[in-house]
Amino acid sequence: MARIELKNVEKAFGKVEVIKPLNLDIEDGEFVVFVGPSGCGKSTLLRLIAGLEDTTAGTIEIDGKDSTSMPPGKRGLAMVFQSYALYPHMTVRKNIAFPMRMAKIPRAEQKRRIESAAEVLNLTDYLDRRPGQLSGGQRQRVAIGRAIVREPSAFLFDEPLSNLDAALRVGMRMEITELHKRLETTMIYVTHDQVEAMTMADKIVVLHDGVIEQTGSPLELYNRPVNLFVAEFIGSPKMNIINGEQASGIDAYKIGIRPEHISISTQSGLWKATVGVAEHLGSDTFFHAKVEGMSDPITVRTDGNMQVDRGSTIYLSPDEQKVHRFDSQGIRI
Amino acid sequence: MIDNTSSFRVKKAFGVTMMLVLLFFAALPTVWVLIMSFREQAAIFEPIWESPLAVTLDNYRGIARSDFPKALLNSFICAGSSTLLAMIVGVPAGFALAKSRLSGKFYASWLLLLLRMAPPVGFVIPLFLLYVNAGLIDTYFGLIVAYMTLTLPLIVWSMWNSFAQVPDELIEAAIMDGATLGKAFMQVALPAARPGAVAAAILGFLIVWNDFFYALIITRSSTVTAPVAVMNFISYDSVDWGSIAVASIALTLPILPLMVIANRYIVQSLSGAVKG
Repeated sequence: MARIELKNVEKAFGKVEVIKPLNLDIEDGEFVVFVGPSGCGKSTLLRLIAGLEDTTAGTIEIDGKDSTSMPPGKRGLAMVFQSYALYPHMTVRKNIAFPMRMAKIPRAEQKRRIESAAEVLNLTDYLDRRPGQLSGGQRQRVAIGRAIVREPSAFLFDEPLSNLDAALRVGMRMEITELHKRLETTMIYVTHDQVEAMTMADKIVVLHDGVIEQTGSPLELYNRPVNLFVAEFIGSPKMNIINGEQASGIDAYKIGIRPEHISISTQSGLWKATVGVAEHLGSDTFFHAKVEGMSDPITVRTDGNMQVDRGSTIYLSPDEQKVHRFDSQGIRI
Repeated sequence: MIDNTSSFRVKKAFGVTMMLVLLFFAALPTVWVLIMSFREQAAIFEPIWESPLAVTLDNYRGIARSDFPKALLNSFICAGSSTLLAMIVGVPAGFALAKSRLSGKFYASWLLLLLRMAPPVGFVIPLFLLYVNAGLIDTYFGLIVAYMTLTLPLIVWSMWNSFAQVPDELIEAAIMDGATLGKAFMQVALPAARPGAVAAAILGFLIVWNDFFYALIITRSSTVTAPVAVMNFISYDSVDWGSIAVASIALTLPILPLMVIANRYIVQSLSGAVKG
C-alpha cells in the first residue's frame, strides 16, 4: 500500500529538459495511467518513481518517506517492462522466485507464493519452462507474476501490452484491471494508447512535452478537457476541431465537438455537408464529411446500419451542450 | 520443397568439390605429420612405399623422456592463468563499458583497439628490458603478465560486445527486483552473455597456447612453453623431424575439444542467443 507524492520533480538529460518541474499525488490503491504521445516523458517519469533514473531536482515521497535517493530495490515497488525482461536462462519458477531470493524470503514461503501466483495467472503448467518457450501473453503473465510475489507497495507498468497482438491486449487489459480490483494495490501504468488509459484508469495523467496537461478521471477528461491537446488526445476517433466563423459565432477561437455528439439527417440541420469516406465497424459507422465553409472534414459517428452514399448531401447538427470552446491559447473557456 | 533443377545440382556439385579440395589441403599436413611421427628416423625422407615397414614408437618414447612434457605443462599454466586472470578483470570491465553511461567510452574503445592491433614486437622489447631489470625473465609471473597484454584486450573487447547485446531492461529488472549491481551482473547479465564469455575465454587461451614469440624472448629454461620447446629438436647438425612431429601432435590434441566447443559458442554468441 503506498501513497506516492512527487514534489517539483524535474529531469534533464544534459541540456534537454525531459520533465519540467511537476507535482503529482498518487493516492493509496489508485490505478493511475500516464498517457501521452511518444517522447512526452511518461516513461521517464515512471523510471524516476522506480529509481532507475535520478531526479535533477525535486523530491519523491513514497508513503511519506523521502525516497528520492533510495536505490530502486529498496523502494518496495515492482515493475513490469515492455519487453517483459524475463531472465532467459531461468525457468519460469526461478524467474518468479528471483525477487524473493533477493529479499531472502524463506524457501517454503517462496514456494507458497509462487504456487498461488501461478494459479492466479494460469501458469501452473509452465513453471518449469524457459521464457523462450512461452508465447507473448504467457511471458507477460510471468512478468506480472514476478511482480506480484514481492507483494510490493505499488506496481509500475511500462507499456506492458504494446508487444502483444490486439486480441490478447484486450484480454490482458481485463486481467490487469481485475488484478488491481483484487489486490487493491497502487498501480502506475504508462501507455501511449488512450483506449488503455480510458478503460483501466481511476485517474489519468496526460503528459505532453514533459508537462502535465491534465489530471483527472477518464470521464472528467472526456467531458471537460482543459485544453486543445487533451481534447484531441482523449477520445477515439478524435474530437473535431473547428475554427473560423462557426467558432467566433459563439465567442471562441476554436471549438471542439466529438464525432458522437453530432446528429445526422438527410433533411435539415445546422451544417450542410457532402459525405466522403465511410468507415463501417458494424456497431458504428464513421462518416468523414466535408462541411461547406470549413477547411477540414468532420468525423461523425452514426448507427452501424445507416447507409449514405459517398458524394450525397447530408445535414449535421452538433449537440450544443457538448460543444467545447477554446481560446487562442488553446485553453478551455 | 526440394530443388531438383539441373542448375541447382551443378551448383551443389561444385560446392561439394570445392569443400573437398579445401579439406584435402587442410588435412594433408596433418596426415603427413601423423605418418612422420611413426616413421624411423632414417626412413623419414624416404617415400612411404619404399619402406612401408619402417614403423616405430621411438619418437613417442623419446618425447616422453625429454623436457617436452614439462614445456606442455608450462603452456597450460601460462595459457590457463593468463586467460583466467584476464577474465576476472576483463569480464566486469566489458560489462561496465557496455552498460555505464560514462562519456569517455569512446576513448576506451580506441585504446582497446590499439592494444589489439599493435604488433607484439611493440610490447615485447620494452617488456624485455623491464623484465631484465626486475628479474622477471624466465618466471611464470612475468610470462603470465606479458600474455595478459594479449588476452585482456581481446576479452574486454569481446565481452563489451556480448554485454551490449544483453537488453538494459534485463539488468534494470534485476535491480528493481532488489538485486545489487553485483548480483545483477553475476546472476542475470553474465548468464545471459555466457556464450560470448565462453568463446572469449577459449580464444584467449588459444592465442597464448599458440604463441611462440613472447615465450621465446621472455623464457630461458624452466618456464619454456611447448612451441618454444619444439625448437630444441633442431640442433646444429640435425633436425629431429620425428620428435617435432610428435610434439606437434601433442600441441594440437589438447586444444581439439576446445575448438569444438568454441565453434559452437562463437556461432551462438554471433547469432544473439541472449534474446529470451
